[in-house]
Amino acid sequence: MNVQDLIKSYGSKTVVDEVSFQVPKGKVLSLIGPNGAGKSTVMGMISRLIAKDAGIIRFEDKDLAKWKSKELAKKLAILTQHNNIQMKLTVRELVSFGRFPYSGSCLTKEDIAMVDNAIAYMELEEFEDRYIDELSGGQRQRAYIAMVIAQDTEYVLLDEPTNNLDIYHASNLMRIARKLCDELGKTVILVLHEINYAAFYSDYICAFVDGKIARFGTVDEVINKECLHDIYNVDFEIIRIHDKPLSVYY
Amino acid sequence: MSKRIVAKNRNILLLILLAGLVVISVTVYLLINAHPEKPKLFQYILSLRLPTLICMVIASVAIGAATLIFQSIVNNRIVTPALLGMNSIYSFLHTAAVFVVGTGSTLYLNANLAFCVDLITMGVIATLVYWYLFKKTGHNIFYIMLIGTVLSSLFGSIQSSMIRVIDPNEYDALLTTLVADFNNVNGEIIVIAIVCLIMIWIGLYRDLKQLDVISMGRDQAINLGVDYDNSIRRLLFGVVLCIAVATATIGPVSFLGLIVANLSRQLLRTYRHSQLIVGASLMGMIALIGGQLVSQHVFHFTVPVSVFVTITGGIYFLYLLLFKKGAY
Repeated sequence: MNVQDLIKSYGSKTVVDEVSFQVPKGKVLSLIGPNGAGKSTVMGMISRLIAKDAGIIRFEDKDLAKWKSKELAKKLAILTQHNNIQMKLTVRELVSFGRFPYSGSCLTKEDIAMVDNAIAYMELEEFEDRYIDELSGGQRQRAYIAMVIAQDTEYVLLDEPTNNLDIYHASNLMRIARKLCDELGKTVILVLHEINYAAFYSDYICAFVDGKIARFGTVDEVINKECLHDIYNVDFEIIRIHDKPLSVYY
Repeated sequence: MSKRIVAKNRNILLLILLAGLVVISVTVYLLINAHPEKPKLFQYILSLRLPTLICMVIASVAIGAATLIFQSIVNNRIVTPALLGMNSIYSFLHTAAVFVVGTGSTLYLNANLAFCVDLITMGVIATLVYWYLFKKTGHNIFYIMLIGTVLSSLFGSIQSSMIRVIDPNEYDALLTTLVADFNNVNGEIIVIAIVCLIMIWIGLYRDLKQLDVISMGRDQAINLGVDYDNSIRRLLFGVVLCIAVATATIGPVSFLGLIVANLSRQLLRTYRHSQLIVGASLMGMIALIGGQLVSQHVFHFTVPVSVFVTITGGIYFLYLLLFKKGAY
């Protein structure tokens, strides 16, 4: 996926300003930056949830806007934070929706096998017949990830997946994102607030400031004192643990 | 696995049960005090009751489907098309048509033609109004409710100002078609109303299949490959036409949709709109036919069905607001 000169304004305020970058295939890429830097908007545009004002997003050498929504749904999955389902839906039914782009609501044997796998992968077997509005936040998040796994896309986009999760569930989720890349060979793009999660679990980091890309590079290229100070305008200490940079900013 | 199959069979069983109740109420409605021993009288009574019955069935399907689809579009369980003033838009357009062309014109005298004109204007204007409203407010339910309420009284007021300046004779003629009720159904348009419903169903077949996904919200629907904006616009058009059909056949019944849609959700506990819509339609039939029975044979026409529907609907609405926090 290749993004070129992406622009988005709301009224007179430009929130994304000529952003260009290339998504490394088969890697974990984290988008970080202060509030209002435009990272979620960029995520929205590359996942076609938000309309862009200008620029080109090329996905597999074809303009994203020219893709049929249904075909794209087999290649690219996005999970946002606004999941407000009003229906009575069990975990298994939710995960089965991941197969909708392929088979609609009539699942084939193959689809059911995929759903079984996704549920097993997220260790949700014991909840599969529970209604999702009866689950805890962490369990519900896992159910949504299972749906994304059942969707079986090459690209998985997660918008602030650790929001509202406690440390246990958040770090579990980051490990899953890593596993999606390492074990299932997917390209994972995350929007994260927590720098240390980005540093420990991703391959590449793209840092946004004021709608522009401030830094794009490997974890070590971005997570260092000078860069972080430029991005967040806060003083950082960097400690190396397990050969990863841990940033301290309190 | 067995639990899932049980749940599926349970719903089918419930739907068959509801269908059975519908058959019973239809039979009772047609045969009670019908004097089958006097063929002439029997025939006459049936000729009076059949159109009413068919209109109630048509309206139940239209209201049930419209409300469920609408609730899934706006992702909210307590909003109904009626609350947002779709009924008053219909009354307004109908009055406006008479106001402009007069009751003497063929456009008015031919009930089917008048209905078609109403449908087309309603379809275009209401779809544009509500689609723009959704787009502009970003599907924010509170704005939609607020603007819908304002629109509802706006169209109501325009309509009543037109009625005030209209010729009294014209008004009298207008009233009979405008305030259709259960004892004065609009039987002339039965065929075209049925044709209209079938056409809506065929036209929206593909979008209806996506409703289950659409009710998961915009982001999820797009993620799962739904052509969201176009789908919503087409579905909204269908909702508007359904409301027009229902209002034209039996008149405005504001709370019926709310009751049947939510009862259907409560009873069937599923996300499948195919089941929910059938359930809501069947419940609508039971409510209307049962209500009409009570109104005719217990209260002897002193209390119209719409009063029952509004009272129970109002109480049920309050119950949803106060005790079903998760519903909206």
